[in-house]
Amino acid sequence: MADRYRPDSEPTTRTLLQRVLDTADLRTPRRRRSRRTLAQRTFLESPASKRLSSQTKTTTRRRSHGARSVVRLAHVQANGDLEEQTPRTLLKNILLTAPESSIVMPDSVMKPVEVSKVVQSSRQESSQGSLELQLPELEPSLTLAPGLPAPGKRKQRLRLSVFQQEVNQGLTRSQEPPGNADVSSLTSSLSLTFATPLQPQSVKRPGLARRPLTRRAVDIGALLQGLRDNSLASAPPGDSLRTRVVTLSADIVLEDTQPFSQPLVGCSPSVHHSLPHPSHIGIEDTERAVSHRRQSIGPGQQSHSDSTAFSIVSLPCSELQPQPPEVTEAVGSQEVMEARKSKESSEDEDTSGRPGKRAKLMAVLSSEPLESMPVRLPPRPRTAGPRHHQDPYKAGLSYYAKLFSFYAKMPMEKKALEIVEKCLDKYFQHLCNDLEVFADHAGRKTVKVEDLELLMRRQGLVTDQISLHVLVERHLPLEYRQLLIPCAFTGNSVFPTQ
Amino acid sequence: MEEVEAEEQQGFSHQQRLKAAVHYTVGCLCNEVASDKEIQFSKQTVAAISELTFRQCEMFAKDLEMFARHAKRNTISTDDVKLLARRSNSLLKYITEKNEEIAQLNLERKAKKKKQAEDANQSSREPAGGE
Repeated sequence: MADRYRPDSEPTTRTLLQRVLDTADLRTPRRRRSRRTLAQRTFLESPASKRLSSQTKTTTRRRSHGARSVVRLAHVQANGDLEEQTPRTLLKNILLTAPESSIVMPDSVMKPVEVSKVVQSSRQESSQGSLELQLPELEPSLTLAPGLPAPGKRKQRLRLSVFQQEVNQGLTRSQEPPGNADVSSLTSSLSLTFATPLQPQSVKRPGLARRPLTRRAVDIGALLQGLRDNSLASAPPGDSLRTRVVTLSADIVLEDTQPFSQPLVGCSPSVHHSLPHPSHIGIEDTERAVSHRRQSIGPGQQSHSDSTAFSIVSLPCSELQPQPPEVTEAVGSQEVMEARKSKESSEDEDTSGRPGKRAKLMAVLSSEPLESMPVRLPPRPRTAGPRHHQDPYKAGLSYYAKLFSFYAKMPMEKKALEIVEKCLDKYFQHLCNDLEVFADHAGRKTVKVEDLELLMRRQGLVTDQISLHVLVERHLPLEYRQLLIPCAFTGNSVFPTQ
Repeated sequence: MEEVEAEEQQGFSHQQRLKAAVHYTVGCLCNEVASDKEIQFSKQTVAAISELTFRQCEMFAKDLEMFARHAKRNTISTDDVKLLARRSNSLLKYITEKNEEIAQLNLERKAKKKKQAEDANQSSREPAGGE
């Protein structure tokens, strides 16, 4: 293995590694030989250090030091006994192949012949499977490495060096030499290219180039639209929900069959709508109202899924399928008018949260009947829909209507059930309004348990004698009790311990 | 025991007096309405209305206290009253208007007081300066 001792006048990696090697040599068992060269090396190093201190490099300098490098090389070769693959050998390889030019000076003179030879030697040394360093800038090497490769490769290297010369001139060609060098390399192991010293912009493999991250801001509207498209399996027109809200008054559409996945989609537009407004109220309102419903409607009621939460703000419509569409349309129109009236009446009130709530209600109300309109026109393939193609906002209320008929223990007219649904709808709307107002009164945007307690107190369910916890314990299943009364199951320990 | 009974009696008598006062006021109002609309009010009606009013006042008081406590306050404010009255729109409107009027009056009073204070200062300065 040939040791190359390159004169470095620039503070390049090479010089630093060289220094490392020099200092490392002192500690090796091969001290005797190193000592012989040590004096010279130190002598040579001092000018080198001087060179290092100076930032400006010139080609002439390098050439002048080229003569010295010969001397160095002769001495360095004495230390060529170490043939094993050690870090030092690797570093020496680096030194061999490191460019003489510094990062500071992009233009450096290259001696093609020397370059080729150095490349050969480096390749050979690294052909044993270690890390191969390919550097476009190769310093002039004055002594040949032992065991030169075949002349054919020399020619290749020459071509490469010519390329590399031209690289200096043209940046566009910069990407080719490393490619060629790779191809012609002996080892197929990891290859690094130190391209930066010469051309900071060039000599980059296109594959390794880091593409700038293209981040697109998430468009919520598009996302929601996409969700709706997926659920409806039909592309609604480009008009957004806002236009639908605006055209609510004009459209009195009968609730029509819609896939069961509607509630999730229907909720998201409302969420999207109320984003500029205090938005959490609506969803939490529904959730609170759901929990409240459990308490208020009657004992022994089982908990229901969250999908019914959306039914609170639904239009009360006929839940039974066999009804003729005209009746449902009439009913739907009635309820739309009534709901609008009630909403208009509530519009006069001056709570800040009200606009958000109203917008949400309007959005929900508008979205679900309006969706049925465009949905009905194209024949849409149904995904997993329920047995009865119902408006899911009605679906929740229909559940309660059925419960009502069950507890009535008498056959009920369909009209009666309709009216029951209507009343329930009004009731829940009013409930949610109250909850929102209460939360706003306390300066909050979220409906909390205190608001519900206040509501129940107003309703007369919670009195001075009966507290909320008592009602919870009476009527709710154990899991909810655990949630609502946190102290009940928190591993209480009794004092004093007996 | 006697004190408690005495207190109860006192409270009861107090309540009775209040009820009587409400009944009287309701009677007067009913007479006015009757003269306007040319409809007669029976006594039972007036009594029912007065009883209703009294109980509703109790409810209002409790609700107002609850609202104030809900907002973590110790005093009942106009916000609580507005919350209470939001059920009927006309009442709410009326209350908000009154509230604004009162606020304006307060502002005017403050402005007047400031002016008076300034005038007093000036007048006190002038005679002092004059002398």
